[in-house]
Amino acid sequence: MKRFLRFVPLFLVSLATLSTPRLTAQDWVHTGTNLSNPTIRIAAADFKPVGADAQTGALKAVFDATLYSDLGNAGIFDLVSKSLAPQAMPGSPQEIVLSQWSAAPASASMVAFGALSVSNGRLVVYGWLYDASNTASPQVLGKQYNEAASEDMARTVAHRFADEIIARLGGGPNGIAETEIYFVSTRSGSKEIWAMDYDGQNQHQITHLGSISLSPRISPDNSRIAFSTLGRNGWAIRMYSLDLGRMVSFPGGSAGGSNLSPAWSSDDSKVAFSSSRSGDSEIWVSDASGGNLHRVTSLTGPNVAPVWNPRTNAQLSFVSGRTSEPQIYIMDQDGSNIQRMTDSGYAVSPSWSPSGGLLAFSWNRKYGPGDPGGQDIYVFEIATMHWLQVTHESGSNDFPSWAPDTRHIVFQRTIGHHTQIWTMISDGTHQQQLTNAGDNSMPNWSWK
Amino acid sequence: MSGVIESGHLERELTPEPIAGPAAGALALHGALFAALLLYGVLGGLFHHNLWGNQGSGGAMQVTLVSNALPLPNNQPLNQNVLATEKPSPAPAVPSPKEQREMDLKAIPILGKQTKPQQKTTQKTQMHQPPPMQDNLARYGEQNGTSIPRATQPQSASNGPTVVGDNDFASMFGWYVSQINNKMANSWYKQEVDPRTPRGARVYLVFTIHRDGSISNLQLDRSSGSPTLDLSCERGVQRAETFGSLPSAYNQNTLKVSYYCEY
Repeated sequence: MKRFLRFVPLFLVSLATLSTPRLTAQDWVHTGTNLSNPTIRIAAADFKPVGADAQTGALKAVFDATLYSDLGNAGIFDLVSKSLAPQAMPGSPQEIVLSQWSAAPASASMVAFGALSVSNGRLVVYGWLYDASNTASPQVLGKQYNEAASEDMARTVAHRFADEIIARLGGGPNGIAETEIYFVSTRSGSKEIWAMDYDGQNQHQITHLGSISLSPRISPDNSRIAFSTLGRNGWAIRMYSLDLGRMVSFPGGSAGGSNLSPAWSSDDSKVAFSSSRSGDSEIWVSDASGGNLHRVTSLTGPNVAPVWNPRTNAQLSFVSGRTSEPQIYIMDQDGSNIQRMTDSGYAVSPSWSPSGGLLAFSWNRKYGPGDPGGQDIYVFEIATMHWLQVTHESGSNDFPSWAPDTRHIVFQRTIGHHTQIWTMISDGTHQQQLTNAGDNSMPNWSWK
Repeated sequence: MSGVIESGHLERELTPEPIAGPAAGALALHGALFAALLLYGVLGGLFHHNLWGNQGSGGAMQVTLVSNALPLPNNQPLNQNVLATEKPSPAPAVPSPKEQREMDLKAIPILGKQTKPQQKTTQKTQMHQPPPMQDNLARYGEQNGTSIPRATQPQSASNGPTVVGDNDFASMFGWYVSQINNKMANSWYKQEVDPRTPRGARVYLVFTIHRDGSISNLQLDRSSGSPTLDLSCERGVQRAETFGSLPSAYNQNTLKVSYYCEY
């Protein structure tokens, strides 16, 4: 009996410890409720057409649609659908009734509205952004635009106004509505360099070389495109001037061997690329005109696909095959201080975020026979060495490229035998296909 | 050999002592401990319910003018103003007291049984009061949609006509404050925090936002006691880098911000 009594307290204590998880389980629920992140609910009112010019209606339609899609694409708003928004078209601060917009079903906390008129071939747009919940001082933004009257300019003005709103409410980086995406397309018969607006509009061909052109990279000032082309002497780095509308010379990129995957430094002064002129593929750096060439890496195994840290221009990320399968590395611009970022699988196509803190790349983590992993886009934070998989189980994904807002990523996705260009928010949401005709690959997002 | 000596020693130690008394005492003590644990668990659960609707993910903001001419408005109104609900709790309590009064009237000639209906009414009112779930649900639902107006409306009403220079920042530019919250919610990675950090631990940071949106003077104001939580919150601010240029209607060049991260 005494022996039994001796164990009773032990039993009670163990019972108490067993029952504690049940009691503290409520904490867990409490944490879950804290995870919600309220996004800004914004309404884009149809702009009020002013004046009787015949063009007004058409331009207003383009403007309204562009503004609406830009705000939706931004990825930071909960956009009020047109069917829930009030029918009113307030054209000025005097005409808007904020309670209309803040009440259900619109329930908007922000309203973008304004007026649009065409007179004497000029398009004049007044735009406002109001905080619908702050009746005392609602104005967040007021803008006026005056441009030549055309559909392109209506779209451009809408992009600019959307960018202003996104910059105001997004807390920092400018919007990307006026940016461009450069890519490789086969739709003309051969692989040429093409360009389009960030939302897939206005797709047009840039080069007509009749060869195979790959990996376009737009310069930070939007004046030149560097890319690699297969010529008589193998792969060479070529340069196309958007200002002049023709090819310009880049002497450093055409020596023997394969010269591939150019990359601009963010100050426009240097171009890095891989070249096999000395045997193995190594990283070389020249100035922007193709002179002052020097080799940075001198290691066994191929080293390719360099990108600069756009924040500092003091580091490069690249892909190296020194341990058989390609892996992502970073190094200082003089080739020292090499660090390996990925530990296994098949990792290629690094893209350094404009903020300097993140790398996006394409990774097949379970690569090899009997290990059929998918090729997906990953985002890697350099400071903490944490990574996040952002595409999941949909096709083979490669060539990510950051938008200047460090919020969007453009990439290529191959499903079946068709490769197309997609964009997404860098956490993998809002995935959107931009191209349909032909095969389109290797996208590069412009710097501004 | 030494083991034998030890076991003999133990036997001598244990056998002569009366074990029943201490054992009963220990039993009672553990019983009390167990009851206290249960009580703590139940009370703790109730207490945590009250934290439900408090904050968004990134924690709340306190923003002060650099000039410090006006004292800060409290954060408290945010939480206290959660009164109006679109769906008030079902309240079929009205008919029941009538029935009980009828019962009382009939019961007057009978002497002994007046107390029972009174007890029923008190029980029913008590039953209506305690469940905190309805409050919590209402708070949670409202918190999401209207965190900005709640901060802005009461103050602007009390201040009357707004003058930019003399007004409080949060009431004038609620959207800027909520933008800081949103940005921090995205750039603060909770997974960097040691999971042993107690829930509800808070670290307070102080920093300055300049006109171009850049951040400086980031300082730890009050540590949470968890180094990983402190560091993750600081990293969140550093990662954000900019909160966007200050509103053009705001006439100061800098804005001081006190921000807390709650685990």
